[in-house]
Amino acid sequence: MLPRHYASNGYPRSKDEYKETYSISPHRFQPRTAPAALRRRRQLLVRLTLIVIILLFGIFIWPGASILPVLSLGLMSSGEDFQLETVRYYDLSNVQGTARGWEREERILLCAPLRDAESHLRMFFGHLRNFTYPHHLIDLAFLVSDSKDQTLPLLSQLLEELQADEDPKQPYGEISIIEKDFGQKVNQDVESRHGFAAQASRRKLMAQARNWLLSAALRPYHSWVYWRDVDVETAPFTILEDLMRHNKDVIVPNVWRPLPDWLGGEQPYDLNSWQESETALALADTLDEDAVIVEGYAEYATWRPHLAYLRDPYGDPDMEMDIDGVGGVSILAKAKVFRSGVHFPAFSFEKHAETEGFGKMAKRMQFSVVGLPHYTIWHLYEPSVDDIRHMEEMEKERIAHEEEEKERVERMKKIKEQFTDPNSQWEKDKTDIQNEAMREKAKEKTKAEAAAKEASGSETKSEAAPKEAKADSKVEAKADSKPAAKAQ
Amino acid sequence: MGPARSLRRTNPLTIIVGVVLCIVIFVFILQPSSSDSTASQLRKASAASNPLSPPTSPFRKQNEKANGKRIPPPVVHYHMNNVTSTSDPVGNRETVLILTPLAKFYQEYWDNLLRLSYPHELITLAFIIPKNREGNAATAALQEQITKTQKSGPEKKRFASIIIERQDFEPPLVSQSEAERHKMENQKARRAAMSRARNSLLFTTLGPSTSWVLWLDADIVETPPSLIQDLAAHNKPIIVPNCFQRFIDSKTRRRAERPYDFNSWQDSETAQQLAAGMGKDDILLEGYAQMATYRTLMAYMADEKADPNQEVPLDGVGGTALLVKAEVHRDGAMFPPFPFYNLIETEGFAKMAKRLGWSSTGLPNYKVYHYNE
Repeated sequence: MLPRHYASNGYPRSKDEYKETYSISPHRFQPRTAPAALRRRRQLLVRLTLIVIILLFGIFIWPGASILPVLSLGLMSSGEDFQLETVRYYDLSNVQGTARGWEREERILLCAPLRDAESHLRMFFGHLRNFTYPHHLIDLAFLVSDSKDQTLPLLSQLLEELQADEDPKQPYGEISIIEKDFGQKVNQDVESRHGFAAQASRRKLMAQARNWLLSAALRPYHSWVYWRDVDVETAPFTILEDLMRHNKDVIVPNVWRPLPDWLGGEQPYDLNSWQESETALALADTLDEDAVIVEGYAEYATWRPHLAYLRDPYGDPDMEMDIDGVGGVSILAKAKVFRSGVHFPAFSFEKHAETEGFGKMAKRMQFSVVGLPHYTIWHLYEPSVDDIRHMEEMEKERIAHEEEEKERVERMKKIKEQFTDPNSQWEKDKTDIQNEAMREKAKEKTKAEAAAKEASGSETKSEAAPKEAKADSKVEAKADSKPAAKAQ
Repeated sequence: MGPARSLRRTNPLTIIVGVVLCIVIFVFILQPSSSDSTASQLRKASAASNPLSPPTSPFRKQNEKANGKRIPPPVVHYHMNNVTSTSDPVGNRETVLILTPLAKFYQEYWDNLLRLSYPHELITLAFIIPKNREGNAATAALQEQITKTQKSGPEKKRFASIIIERQDFEPPLVSQSEAERHKMENQKARRAAMSRARNSLLFTTLGPSTSWVLWLDADIVETPPSLIQDLAAHNKPIIVPNCFQRFIDSKTRRRAERPYDFNSWQDSETAQQLAAGMGKDDILLEGYAQMATYRTLMAYMADEKADPNQEVPLDGVGGTALLVKAEVHRDGAMFPPFPFYNLIETEGFAKMAKRLGWSSTGLPNYKVYHYNE
């Protein structure tokens, strides 16, 4: 067996190997296999370089083409497209909105229309950070329109910071900043905003902005929509849950504002949440098709019960009241309300526009619209022109008062300068009396002396007179220095 | 030993043939993506990074880090001042949203959609389907066609994005048969439900980048392929073609067509007087003998020989095919599910749009065709 094995090997045996007949050392077969492996390696190298050349050639010819389809052997005609999802399926019965949305992971769309709101943004973001509703379930949508200040850059900066927050509980869901200018000529300052004449057209423009924001941001996965003004100063952190718990289609809290003490400390702010009255309905019938009734102005006396005036600071915050018009400061509504088509009429809908018209339309479609009279949030106090005028008057009064005070002091000083202090008078009188007494004594003495001497008396008498004059001048100086010190 | 020897014998000719084959394959592979790269680039550019994005754009799936942590979605700016709707929608790359309330799926409808010559990468389709047995069947049929088109169909035919929604309320009528559907007393409830479906679909899919909204009923089976371009060319806020139906005349046994949609009309004195005498919750209906309105119906204005671009002003519009500038809907014009000036659904929509300052136009000689049951 052994010799034959050696023979088939085809290599001459060395003498050493012959000695170790049964050696099965692996080295022995190396020389035979080595050239084949080398050849294969060389071939592999040749093929690789060929492929590289072809690839380079390909890239040279089609510089724009991606390598991906080549690597995937063309199984997908475009690699990127394969990764893109183009079909979405939503079941709207899963997004109806329930009383305990945070447990069922219901998503909320938070809408905030902004115009020249730079000064309020930081305060608003403070509120955002404090919301207790899970942030990742809240999508934020802002509409920035016709702003002349730094609203947009500041908003982007604050949002970027919020989304990059270290705390995993801070970042929100989808964030959209929508820029759209409506070319509004209406100013946002307090006076023009609340003047009666400007109300109707202003409300229609506001409504338009709200509709654009909602229609661009509402998605099929939203269960709730929350409208919030950025100039709310104080609100409970749990407001979303608090309002949601009532499980109503549309719900608003009461909105008040703090006032300076001279104005009574606090005041109802949002007068757009009200219940319909017979008077108002009768009034509406008499008005032109395009007329808009706005609340809170003497021009239209509607005698409606306002949510704002029904507040009792110690009342049950869960108490509900059915309302017909709603204010827009803080509205929580089920998304299905907006899906059904309820929006903020930018025309006169049943003689109302914007949020009041929204309430009316929701009612028209048989949705529940509710206000919470004793659950209050506080709007920022911005002094109105009247208030500013009043405050200016108060400032003037204060200055006048101060001047008066100063004048009084001045007068007192003058009086004191003109009339000497009675103390010094007394002092003077006292010294005078003493001097008198001393003189008397001296007289008696001199009399006695005169009686004693009789012959030489005229010399001593002339000595006493200068002494008297000296004492008098001393008292005078003392009285002079006293009022001067007081005036200082 | 065999393979080793054959390798050794490789002849240079084989290598050359291999190289040539390789080049041919590469050419074949790279051809499609280089030919319509603008379209696919647009697709890629419009893709959003997460599924919460506006549904009118495709999205990439990953929104979790490798360690399972949620990546917060980015802050996205939408410049709506730049969203235009002009008479040259293709040239200005304007996006179109085609909305269809779907009760029954017709293959002809889908084929007609695929035939539309408007660039498909600018079209988003959205459907709303009731949650009942018929709806489930329609959804299944629709999804099958969608998969065929979007996954394995030619890239040119693929739409930018497709949204399927299931309605959150029951349709008021069990039967969708034509006779039952058109009974007068059923009309109000049916059309109110239809309005809700339309509004739900519209306001959840409109998004910030849509320029045009095309309402197309699921039973419209034939339109000119250039429907969108033709209608948009008129540059009107609301524009309606005339909806007809093809049928085989039982007497002459010949193909013929008849008007189908009577909701596009010009108002009449009689109709206004009728409305004035009605209660707040009553609705005026068109096409019923019991209620003669004497309105001028666009359906009867069609003239074979006249110019297809002829325009007529309208006061009420039908929804079988309806092209609307997105800003009309954004301003708040919706389909009232309640009697609005005694009008409901698409007719109420035209009225609401008018209250907002947008007028409606009809094209009596430009026809689309309804399915014949």
